[in-house]
Amino acid sequence: MNAVLGHAGVLLSLVSAAVGIAVLGTGLGRRRPALVRAGRIYGVLVLVGAVVAVAAMEHAFVTHDFSLAFVADNNSRSTPLLYTVTGMWSALAGSILLWGVILAGYIGTVIWRFRRRAEDPLVGWALLVTYAVALFFFGLMAGPSDPFQTVAGAAPANGLGPNVLLQDNPLVAIHPPLLYLGFVGFTIPFAFALASLVTGRLDEDWQLATRRWTLAAWAFLTIGILLGAWWSYQVLGWGGFWAWDPVENAAILPWLCATAYLHSALVQERRGLLRVWNLSLVTATFALTILGTFLTRSGVVQSVHAFSESDIGPLLLGFFGLVLVAGVGLIAWRGDRLRSPGGIDATVSREGAFLLNNLLFAAFAFIVLLGTVFPLLYETFAGQQVTVGAPYFDAMTLPIALALLLLMAVGPALPWRKADATTLARRLVVPAWAGTAVVVIAVVAGVRGIGVLAAYGLAGFAFSANLRQLVLAMGAARRHGSRRWRGLVGRANGGMVVHLGIVVIAVALASAVSFAHRAQVTLRPGTSAVVDGERITYLSLAEVRGRASSATQALVLVNGHGPLRPAISEFGTGTQPVGTPAIASSPLRDVYLTIDSLPAAASGAVGIGVTVQPLVSWLWVGGGVVALGAVLAMVPGRRRRPTDPVSAQPGARRSGTRSTPEGAMVPSNGARAFDSTDAQEHEPAPGEPRPAVPVGP
Amino acid sequence: MKARWIALAVLVVAAGLIAVLATRPPAAATEVNTPLLGHQAPQVSGSTLTGGAFTLSALRGRWAVVNFFASWCQPCQQEEADLVAFAYQHRGAQDAALVGVVYDDSTSSARSFLSSSGATWPAVADPGGTLAVDFGVRAPPETFLVSPAGVVTAHLDGPVTASQLDYWLARGTEAMP
Amino acid sequence: MTASRWRLWAPWLAMVVVLSVALAVGASRPGPPLSPTQRAAAIDAQLRCPSCEDVSVADSSAPTAVAVRAIVLQRVRAGERQAQIEDFLVSRYGPGILLRPPTRGATSTVWIVPVVVVVLALGGLGVFFWRRRRRAAAPVGIEDRSLVDHALAERAAGAQS
Repeated sequence: MNAVLGHAGVLLSLVSAAVGIAVLGTGLGRRRPALVRAGRIYGVLVLVGAVVAVAAMEHAFVTHDFSLAFVADNNSRSTPLLYTVTGMWSALAGSILLWGVILAGYIGTVIWRFRRRAEDPLVGWALLVTYAVALFFFGLMAGPSDPFQTVAGAAPANGLGPNVLLQDNPLVAIHPPLLYLGFVGFTIPFAFALASLVTGRLDEDWQLATRRWTLAAWAFLTIGILLGAWWSYQVLGWGGFWAWDPVENAAILPWLCATAYLHSALVQERRGLLRVWNLSLVTATFALTILGTFLTRSGVVQSVHAFSESDIGPLLLGFFGLVLVAGVGLIAWRGDRLRSPGGIDATVSREGAFLLNNLLFAAFAFIVLLGTVFPLLYETFAGQQVTVGAPYFDAMTLPIALALLLLMAVGPALPWRKADATTLARRLVVPAWAGTAVVVIAVVAGVRGIGVLAAYGLAGFAFSANLRQLVLAMGAARRHGSRRWRGLVGRANGGMVVHLGIVVIAVALASAVSFAHRAQVTLRPGTSAVVDGERITYLSLAEVRGRASSATQALVLVNGHGPLRPAISEFGTGTQPVGTPAIASSPLRDVYLTIDSLPAAASGAVGIGVTVQPLVSWLWVGGGVVALGAVLAMVPGRRRRPTDPVSAQPGARRSGTRSTPEGAMVPSNGARAFDSTDAQEHEPAPGEPRPAVPVGP
Repeated sequence: MKARWIALAVLVVAAGLIAVLATRPPAAATEVNTPLLGHQAPQVSGSTLTGGAFTLSALRGRWAVVNFFASWCQPCQQEEADLVAFAYQHRGAQDAALVGVVYDDSTSSARSFLSSSGATWPAVADPGGTLAVDFGVRAPPETFLVSPAGVVTAHLDGPVTASQLDYWLARGTEAMP
Repeated sequence: MTASRWRLWAPWLAMVVVLSVALAVGASRPGPPLSPTQRAAAIDAQLRCPSCEDVSVADSSAPTAVAVRAIVLQRVRAGERQAQIEDFLVSRYGPGILLRPPTRGATSTVWIVPVVVVVLALGGLGVFFWRRRRRAAAPVGIEDRSLVDHALAERAAGAQS
């Protein structure tokens, strides 16, 4: 029953996608708007099919229907309800289903949000591209990776249960869906980018239409990645929050391109520049999500995430190639028509900074990609295995990260078109002193090492520079008669808040990586040892039996508080025991405990691994700030047409009135967000030179 | 015009990458190219699970099959039947002997694992995992073939079959002077 | 320098001086000599846990990692240097046991290629901007100039009211 329903849902989506492509294709090719309009219904049908399939799958899980092979492999009668529900995405075939339903959801949302532009070829072509992506994924589900495959023979009495590492923590209900919301979300900007190339409407329309989509997808991906790091640190006992594991790299590659695109889009919106960059970045982001899925799921790289191997690898690779050919090919085809009317006037300007930003992020992504695939390439050509691990990535990406911190500080203070030294000097003197103060305090506190000090100094610089922007924006809001908090919302201000969060994360990373102390202590019951100023006292062992697992815990006190319970757990017989850590977390440092060796007798000595890392909790705080900033950035602000002048506007903005330049789009509720450009135009004191305008002879 | 060349270059590089990635077999049980090949096997000495001492050098003159295993490891359970069959085949000719090494397991579990599968060969405990590191073992099951002269001739990663062992045995015997 | 320019640049000058001093102090003072456990921990961070993927021996609590840690500590206490310990492990596990790909030999490409790429990219950026600067700025016509003056005058008038 479940299998039949599931198959029906998948088939419905598959066929609807195919028919939708045909209908839209005909309508767009033959210029028949009625057909384009009618093509939308198939997207709704794709959504219906996906929902039916997911409902069937979850029903099978909750009722322990072991006639489905997937359920038999990933569920058992003793699995708690939460992990039964999340079992759907704990292995390959089900996670493709999750991808499919999220994609279908996005398609439905696109159809609804763009319902007033239903006959617009741009929207039509974008929808067609999304149907094509859906066709691929539902095609996978219909054939090679069928989650509704039934067991050959009789249904087993009990299933195997989900992978042991996925039964431990409720985060399994949040991290994968969020991550997929991010990955899949980038399909929409990509679809619109291809649509703009196909229709020849190469201006900023596609970007403005997908602005909030990109921001939302980026936010989901960022939070998903941070949650993954938190999960890995708190629970899975891999020992750290980031190991440059191939699967972690697979998630961060699209993130890097997406972040670059978010910034670079500002330049195109304002001045129509960097078009090829933006199209390439959007294509790269989407292509990397596909490549990432391939790396994670094909078994090509062994990884902690490689929960299964499969033969959809070549298919994913083929789709990746197709995406690249489509994107790169279309960009090359439009070639000269993508040339922007204007150009970057000066190296030192906001545009120049964004261009440099693009380059740095591209270099970062290149390094991560190279490091991830290099072992495969090397093994193919040299026959020997080599590992590219954290020391490589840390060393290579540190200079880029520092340069990005510097850009984060200087960029928001840079004027558009051209900057001169005096403007910058005046705007950045206080933040620069703040950064210097941080370095001095660190040196006085005993911190050593150029890399770490540079990171701290630049972090202080960037933090105060971005804080300054927010303060100016709030002041501008006040001056224009609105409430102060209007200076905190809107895209520019939300972006400043995101930057603040990133700075906090950077400081946490620099501290945790540079000043971590690791030690192994062997303790008899009742004895203690001191590691880096923390007193570790081992009390005794405890055996805990759960419904589906049994664990041996060591009760440990840290500085007299606790007891913390690092453990070694076994989920069912015949599986490898898994270590789970225990963490004592405080704002200044984390003490991370694992059991390294259990004694033969309960009264024997236990080997405990202790890691003391400073400022780890700041990582999660910083992540929260980033999420907050993303939400703030989505609040509607003053709509500005790309052609509106950004600096002095004749006759506008007297205090207390809401007059705006003619024709500018203002949201009907009169909401306005203020950003620091409102403030900066009041900045130059009388007599000081303004940002220069090129004047001819 | 320049754009097309750049686009072509990008696609060629991507095609190369895809070609490499597509022809990589997913990691499976295969022979491992370990630096120990052709070198003297590290010393294996210690007490067996049933009491009594054991050293690998005592097996000089015969082929030794050193098998790292654990009771909780599913592929190890898979290969036990094949190992028992192999031992039975060679019990007459006495030309090959099996030795097990316990990998991260309690002696009682390992003992019951071996006895329940009908294994009669000696198994050495490895407290501290030093033997595993000496042999370069990553995860069980891994099996090493040691020639009568004490040289490592093969390192097999994953569950082995009796025919695989016979094949490597024959290859090693041919290669000997 | 005029008084106003001095007021603008003096704080920057002072900042550069203070920063240089602080960084010099921060980079120069040597730390206390490391204990054997700390040296062993530093070496552990460069070794790959044999039964994991891409997790260092220092980070992992897998049995092979624990075993390797014990061996490293034993050898550090016996006076061996990092290169010797790494050579021993490479002789058992192959070069894949090191988390940092060797800088000599074929694997040096993974170190060199990114540097080359970044240098080329920045160089390309520099060439791009250099070419742009050589193009003369467009001359501003009288009409445009008067338009700008008019707008500025209006704005000044608006700001005063």
